Amino acid sequence: MTHQPGSIVAVGGYLPLLRLDRAQAAKSLKHFGLGGRQAGYRAVAGWDEDAFTLAAEASRALTESPPARICFASTSAPFIDRAHASLLVDALALPRTTRTLDVAGSRRCAVAALLDTLLGADDSLIAAGERRPAKPGSPAHLAYGDGGSAVRTGADGAAKLVGWASQAHDLLDSYASRGHETAYPSEERFVRDVASSAIIAPAITDACTKAGIAAGDIKWAAVHEPLSGMWKDIARRTGITAPNLAATLAEQAGDLGAAHALFALGLAFDAARPGDHVLLAGFGSGCDALIFRVDAKVPGASSVRAALGAGEALTDYVRFLSLSGGVDLDFGVRSEFEQKAQATVVERYGRDTLGFIGGRDEQGNVQFPKTPIPVRPGATGRETLEDVRLADLPAKVASVTADRLNYTPDPPFWFGLVQFDNGARILMELTDASGAGFAVGDALGMRLRIKSIDKKRGMRTYFWKGAPAQRPQMEA
Amino acid sequence: MATGIKDRVAIIGMGCSVFGERWDRGADDLMIEAFEEAIGDAGIDRSQIEAAWMGNALDDINVGNSALPLAHALRLQTIPVSRVENMCATGTEALRAAVYAVASGAIDFGLALGVEKLKDTGYGGLPLRTKGLANDLWMPYGSAPGTFAQLAGAYSAAHGLDGGDLKRAMGHVSWKSHQNGALHGKAHLRKAVEMETILKAPMIADPLGLFDCCGVSDGAACAIVTTPEIAKSLGIDNPVTVKAIQLSASNGWEMGYGEWDGASVRNTQVAAKRAYAEAGIADPRAEISLTEVHDCFSVTELVTMEDLGLSDSGRAVFDILDGKYDRGGAIPCQTDGGLKCFGHPVGASGLRMAYEVYNQLRERAGDRQLPQVDFGLTHNLGGAPFNSVAAVSILGRLD
Repeated sequence: MTHQPGSIVAVGGYLPLLRLDRAQAAKSLKHFGLGGRQAGYRAVAGWDEDAFTLAAEASRALTESPPARICFASTSAPFIDRAHASLLVDALALPRTTRTLDVAGSRRCAVAALLDTLLGADDSLIAAGERRPAKPGSPAHLAYGDGGSAVRTGADGAAKLVGWASQAHDLLDSYASRGHETAYPSEERFVRDVASSAIIAPAITDACTKAGIAAGDIKWAAVHEPLSGMWKDIARRTGITAPNLAATLAEQAGDLGAAHALFALGLAFDAARPGDHVLLAGFGSGCDALIFRVDAKVPGASSVRAALGAGEALTDYVRFLSLSGGVDLDFGVRSEFEQKAQATVVERYGRDTLGFIGGRDEQGNVQFPKTPIPVRPGATGRETLEDVRLADLPAKVASVTADRLNYTPDPPFWFGLVQFDNGARILMELTDASGAGFAVGDALGMRLRIKSIDKKRGMRTYFWKGAPAQRPQMEA
Repeated sequence: MATGIKDRVAIIGMGCSVFGERWDRGADDLMIEAFEEAIGDAGIDRSQIEAAWMGNALDDINVGNSALPLAHALRLQTIPVSRVENMCATGTEALRAAVYAVASGAIDFGLALGVEKLKDTGYGGLPLRTKGLANDLWMPYGSAPGTFAQLAGAYSAAHGLDGGDLKRAMGHVSWKSHQNGALHGKAHLRKAVEMETILKAPMIADPLGLFDCCGVSDGAACAIVTTPEIAKSLGIDNPVTVKAIQLSASNGWEMGYGEWDGASVRNTQVAAKRAYAEAGIADPRAEISLTEVHDCFSVTELVTMEDLGLSDSGRAVFDILDGKYDRGGAIPCQTDGGLKCFGHPVGASGLRMAYEVYNQLRERAGDRQLPQVDFGLTHNLGGAPFNSVAAVSILGRLD
């Protein structure tokens, strides 16, 4: 029995605000003689972002209708035994009946999961996020980037899978392990030769054959290079003449690991016209090559392109080191404060907190959190509050300060009262401050972020924070 | 019909420890220091105290929970002792409990003692506390200056200020308090400070600079209360009496309902209105002789002048710059230097404020003594402007 593979219905992509200027970082490493890539930018997660929040942000526009299944993909997921896909169900306010799966194992995991999903013709959300640690001075240090990407699959989407092929190949180009959490790379010349000739090119060629097209018919590529600059060799070996938007992404934001190929796929879809063929290839312990025929504009593709262009240059190398874990600054005794998140409390309030679910009382006022007796003046008895998700609603700053006393890993600590246009008022943390920071009346959008990190117990909690409604644009 | 507590309770003895970085003293030393002064002042035997209330806000900082630390420190003999806690209104809560007990007729002599030993934390600022397991999942961990700094921005926005006048007025608040604190031998900070120094100080939480913030210190203060009749029988002809003690607490309206403009503190307004009514004060601007208000931050004092009805809305900035609340002004504020100079050992502050008003009423304030004192007002504001407990007390003389 044969059946039609599924298609891509929509795509999403998210990058953190800050983009490290690699040339500036290279200056700081000049005496060292190494440091890796010196051109372009590296997307840098805020202290309050991790693989889960990055994937969640990339997914937000893709669940207007609930998917049957969520797959979370990452090699840097914060939890080992706690499913991020289940957290995504709450963060995106989806039904608890959603099927969930976490995948990892290599940078290829998101593309491999997508291929399996498409072959199963499933209605799924594939959400990838990555915030990989790297040792300062290592090639990965500046080559990596932090970000998230997502793909929604289903029947009759705008991009149809027409060919695919896989190569399983345990190439030790680079590995990370429980005993060595940062990448341990092999010699680049070895990697370039073998990865290209024995893994990626054969997979692409095989996929083209199965799709019944010539390599020259591919108009856009999203091929995750193991190392920058390999595309030329891969194109030569396969006969492809198309530009590789994964290389563009690596240049402008860094190698996003498991999220890289799917983000680049969004860029390729944005560039594609109906009738174009787009090549997607994920790499890591092998290769999965997928060829899509684009029948119409893919929803979300333009927002992926916009996400790449919006950001703020970071030139402070020490701040980058602090944010990326390269240096452990001493924030003093106040930073010793810790809270333990109790499982029973998370069970009672966790889903509403993660989903930012407030309530509308019987007279229409919206509040967060929900309470048995509403906050509305004059309310004296229990009321049934109707769920209201606040994550996607506009708001403004009602009061604010930059707190320089309390500990935060990236001072100052911005917080204040946030007034939602629907009437809800909430005391919230603010994040992604740029320029002069926040002022009363500033328009805000909500971002899912880490609320607290309990280092002693390896635990973290998440909540939403107000961020500027508009991000600055990176200079072209 | 309730008639309130006006003139039903007299304060016959008060004591206050030296406030400051008392590295060489524990909480028990501070309690004894304040108590010994108060019991000497009252002229009664300690065995006559029938019940005691200890105000202590941060139980994990060197004092411990329950009221047993007070019973142990003073070796109180099997009388009822209770601990009260209501953030920065804690000291006033202890006084209120003792006053209510005497007013009810349950006891003749009550002791209220507030204490806090903050400088054993090992870091600056108030100790960090969780906000409760559920609130910790979403509520920001802002510092005290961070929460009160919000008042400044909202005040500027509400009254169309560019920030410059507000900053100068906040600076004047602190300048004035340092002038007064320099005259008090028990203050933590006893040094006058130049305006330029205040205005150029490092930023703590925009727009609050270092001198806009009160000190953090160790200290204790206490009061012994009884009935006016007993006070007279002890030879105090015209005792200091409690005219009013009122509290108001947030129910979540400010931070959870989109109505409040953030430029005032409703709980202070409500508590003041009730206190004026309880004390029979019709025109506070004419009748209140001095105030000891909760100047945890300079902007708090500024906004409090409006919330107490002593300045018109939006005019406190200019009243302050005009010197209305200076020691020589129409309604002096913080004649002892306030929280700004005494620091804010949370559980003690309400009683420390009462101590200054009591001494002014008894004409014992030395270089700080005001020429005419009829009614003194104390004010505490616990929590944050958007989630607070406000206490307003008025003290005067019986006749």
